[in-house]
Amino acid sequence: MSESPIGRDTPQVNARAKVTGRAQYAGDIQLPGMLHAKVLRSPHPHARIRRIDTRAARALPGVKAVLTGADAPDALWGVHHKERRILAREVVRFAGEEVVAVAATSDEIARDALELVTIDYEPLPALFTPEAALAEGATGIHPGRNNVAHEIAFERGSVEAGFAQADLIHEATYTTHAQYPGYLEPMATVAQVDGHGRLQVWASTQSVFLARMRLAAALELPVSRIRVMQTTTGGGFGGKIVEDANSLIAALLALKTGQPVRLVNNRLEDFLGACSSLPERLTLKLGMTREGRIVAKEVTILADCGAYCGLTNEVMHVSAMRSDNMHRLENVRSHAVLSYTHTPPHGAFRGFGGTQMLFALNSHIDTMAEKLGLDPVAIHRLNAIQAGDTSIHGWEVGSTGLMECLDQCTEAIHWAEKRGRRDQAGRRRRGVGLAAAMHVSGNRTIGNWDGSTVVVKLNEDGRALVHSGECDMGQGAMTMLSQVIAHELTLPIEHIQVVPPDTDTSPFAIGTLASRVTMSGGHAAILAARKAKAQLLALAAELSGHAEETLTLIDGAVRLRDADNGEIVADLATLARQHIWRHGGEGLQVSATWDPQTRMHDDDLYGNIASAYSFAAQAVEVEVDTETGRVEVVESFVSDDCGKAFNPLAIHGQTNGATVQAIGWALYEQLQVEEGRIMNGNFADYTLATADAVPMLASGIVESNDPKGPYGAKGASETAILPGAAAIANAVHDAVGVRITDLPITPEKVLAALRAKEDADHA
Amino acid sequence: MRDFDFLEPASAAEASRMLLDEPEESRLIAGGTALMLGMRQRMLSPRRLISLGRLEALRGIDFDAKEGLRIGALTRHAELAADPAVQTHYPMLASMAARVANPQVRNQGTLGGNLCYADPATDPPGCLMALDAQVVIQGPDGERRLTIEAFLVDYYTTALEPGELITEIRLPPPAEGDRGHYARHLRTAAEHRPLVNLAAWVRQRGHGCEAARLVVGASTVVPTRVPQAEAYLMAHPPSEATVDATAELIASGITPLSDARGSAAYRREMVRVIARRSLAHLFALPLE
Amino acid sequence: MSEHRIEVIINGEPVTARVPARRLLSDFLRDDLGLTGTKRGCETGICGACSVMVDGRLVKSCLSLAVQADGQPIDTIEGLADGETLHPIQECFINGGGLQCGYCTPGFVMATCALLAANPRPTTDEIRQALNGNLCRCTGYTQIVESIHHAAEKLHGN
Repeated sequence: MSESPIGRDTPQVNARAKVTGRAQYAGDIQLPGMLHAKVLRSPHPHARIRRIDTRAARALPGVKAVLTGADAPDALWGVHHKERRILAREVVRFAGEEVVAVAATSDEIARDALELVTIDYEPLPALFTPEAALAEGATGIHPGRNNVAHEIAFERGSVEAGFAQADLIHEATYTTHAQYPGYLEPMATVAQVDGHGRLQVWASTQSVFLARMRLAAALELPVSRIRVMQTTTGGGFGGKIVEDANSLIAALLALKTGQPVRLVNNRLEDFLGACSSLPERLTLKLGMTREGRIVAKEVTILADCGAYCGLTNEVMHVSAMRSDNMHRLENVRSHAVLSYTHTPPHGAFRGFGGTQMLFALNSHIDTMAEKLGLDPVAIHRLNAIQAGDTSIHGWEVGSTGLMECLDQCTEAIHWAEKRGRRDQAGRRRRGVGLAAAMHVSGNRTIGNWDGSTVVVKLNEDGRALVHSGECDMGQGAMTMLSQVIAHELTLPIEHIQVVPPDTDTSPFAIGTLASRVTMSGGHAAILAARKAKAQLLALAAELSGHAEETLTLIDGAVRLRDADNGEIVADLATLARQHIWRHGGEGLQVSATWDPQTRMHDDDLYGNIASAYSFAAQAVEVEVDTETGRVEVVESFVSDDCGKAFNPLAIHGQTNGATVQAIGWALYEQLQVEEGRIMNGNFADYTLATADAVPMLASGIVESNDPKGPYGAKGASETAILPGAAAIANAVHDAVGVRITDLPITPEKVLAALRAKEDADHA
Repeated sequence: MRDFDFLEPASAAEASRMLLDEPEESRLIAGGTALMLGMRQRMLSPRRLISLGRLEALRGIDFDAKEGLRIGALTRHAELAADPAVQTHYPMLASMAARVANPQVRNQGTLGGNLCYADPATDPPGCLMALDAQVVIQGPDGERRLTIEAFLVDYYTTALEPGELITEIRLPPPAEGDRGHYARHLRTAAEHRPLVNLAAWVRQRGHGCEAARLVVGASTVVPTRVPQAEAYLMAHPPSEATVDATAELIASGITPLSDARGSAAYRREMVRVIARRSLAHLFALPLE
Repeated sequence: MSEHRIEVIINGEPVTARVPARRLLSDFLRDDLGLTGTKRGCETGICGACSVMVDGRLVKSCLSLAVQADGQPIDTIEGLADGETLHPIQECFINGGGLQCGYCTPGFVMATCALLAANPRPTTDEIRQALNGNLCRCTGYTQIVESIHHAAEKLHGN
């Protein structure tokens, strides 16, 4: 009897194509007559386009189209604000904005053509910081508006009364920087207009339906004239949702040339074209009793979305309020302002605003613990929200494994022995630090629904074909869906084929964001498989004459429930063929939708936006070289409460990947932006961690079995990135007694802080 | 990259003639790892690439106890790192070559190409300078030899005249008492290029050093020897105090670069730290 | 500008082609021969997604010209499996979670081939060092290193 794959280490169902080099990414597609596209970007952070001369470029042999803003539709695109053109017209608002697009018979010719385009720019004064953009009298970056892209303000309870009860009040400001998503596959699209005039788009994307909606709006086409197909996608991390212009430009060129067009960002272009995460300055004021109970919390955020705001309204929203739900709080106040600037746009990134605030909050708890003479673990425990609680913002927490997460990671790192080693001599000092985190599993705020649909078809050989519009960017959505269907239909996982998302054939789906796919897609798969199973049993009963309730599905066949010998009543292949024959040619095909019973927040931001909430804690040990300022993570343990681990192999993989992204954000990666220009938009100078720059990682799983999760599961791909930066900062403090509040923690900052401390100690 | 002609001379003399045909428009290509980067970003756009790929005479490593080491200019970093003679007689050089860039670049990039590119943020030049290497240059008027000090002129600039190419690198024979240590310091563990490197070579006699060559690289425009530090080291028996003082002299004796990867002050400070650690390692002194 | 006739042996099969001088080896493999398993991930020689073997040496095919490979054997990810039978390294990457999005995977698998050919039973640190010419953004490397240990064991025993 084949065992259920649920809960077992399950290799990715599409791994074979990946290890043999046969997985097809968008940049691998070659169509007959396909053209290669290149984009010319603004070198200026803010300028008026006086004149563009494309004659020489158009005259170059092999060049098929040279488009400017004048060739693009009038429609504006954007998530919250429609504010951006496919190609800039009249004004450019950031250095890197797309101005001219070329399609030619080869990549090199397209690149040659860009050099023949001359653009007469009139540079205009630019606003590089939120302070400058929000100053009295600052010019609006977008016509007719001031530079506030979004603002959130709320108060619950009485913060003043809370602070009045506090034994300790601590206020500090933290600065978080932008992180480039760094997926290994740069953005890529192939677009063509087929013989019927329909636009076909193969894209590296996290959401085919959001991509189609946006293409339709920006290109002023009916949705039904567009088909978007997801190709194997080489990572997304939030960067491939809807904020980049790559597929819009490829589609525009395909429409204008009538030929297939491939636009693959090179890495330099991807740094300019992709959104990096939202930089925020967060001021946090907490009041605690001497036992460590948080009695008041006040948050002030100033965030910089760059020239176009994309999804950053939602990102800032998360920073402003999500962490409040981790704790049993009564008095909170938050005020967050998102400002436009003439800098490259920021947007969605794994963790989605959580990383920023949790860096501040966990650093703050660590600091206050020391002042109060408490173990920070005790403060996390004392304040932790509990299963069954409704948080201050209305979130109904059905499960939490945070306590177990704290136990696991402190034990693994030997917290009790290692914390506070004050007797260290020598130039290299070690310290341990810890942080805790919470994340959503799905999010109703996307459209006041958060459902997903799965279609299961049973082929004539008794194997299942599964359609879902939720995208797999490498995190394993296809494997998860295969596991669920295999489990429910008791089939070997090899008998399940998940079809890649295609807007023509897949059921509608929001796509892969907000850690929602296992929650919503997983539930929909369970429902669809059970519907198929019911039909199979009914049909088997009809065929065999056995009562339906005496039948069951075991090992891919319908059998008598009570039979010892497991005699087969009907196998699935027979049933699939019989279904066709008995239903006038209709194969066994079911569709099921699951929409979480969550509640959209009200105008006061009160609601219950996700079916479940996942938790994590991380403990790290670092070594600080007090002479060079270098910080290295020597050990890391992340404990993830993902409800139920469908696939421990995948959970550990997600956790490890998130951990290294967090280490990168905290220690290694730093976008250098000077006067609005990205100066290090390449992998030689923007340094992602290599294998020798990070330790072998350890991680643990906590299964809190959420009552609303599919088999108890919650989201597991984002939570693990949240605690890393603060855990490292706290460990640095434990090692050498300096507190770094502005990321990244560079050697220069560590050395400067050590010197300042030395001076203060001797003063 | 922009289009170009690819030429394949059969001898160094022919390569030299080809270079002279259109000196402004021609570049030599050996492994090509650095050149391709510049050309792909269109920062370099030669109209002619003259490949040294067929010049077998520029390959190979030969060691002779009297003559020292001859390294063909087309020797790849990985070949240098794996060569038994280099490992035995010039362990510092083998150790450096094993750490250049990354495995793929070590399998493709050549020592001659690396020297001709004269990128400050790289490893071989400083190490070779500490080992008193000379480059053998073939040109239209025959052959000449230059020390590394004379060969490296400035940021991305060498002493090569039109029509000249490096054919080999020569190292003097090792002697009893020679010790060397090559250190490269990365600003963070994830960076790819050294922020500072320090190549230290001494010839020990009894308790002291009869000769010393101390070279700072990566943080200076070209690798830089620090004579006052060398003199101090030769005048004082190795001790923690000597090492500290020498490291100070090294740090104060250079003019550090200042750029996005590190300010001059920070680089100088790192030079001091790495110098002290390297010398302590060289003399087997405790680091703390 | 100049065009060249090159003769190479790709995954054991002789191939003759004409290439312009400026054709990169990676583009030759991908665009001319359709061997798209070799990936392009950067222009700065850092990501390693384009790693292939040229004459038994692991190199980055985006840092060399096709014409430079003339006369040499080239091995790419497509040549690793024996028909339908995967190479043990490929098996171990699959089963050990040594991949997620898969884009860096051909480069890592080729780098592993080179490592295990030179060092059949590497230590964890030797593996981590040997991979520092390849970037992965998904896995955090731990499961890649573990997969390589498994592959070494499978290929070369304890």
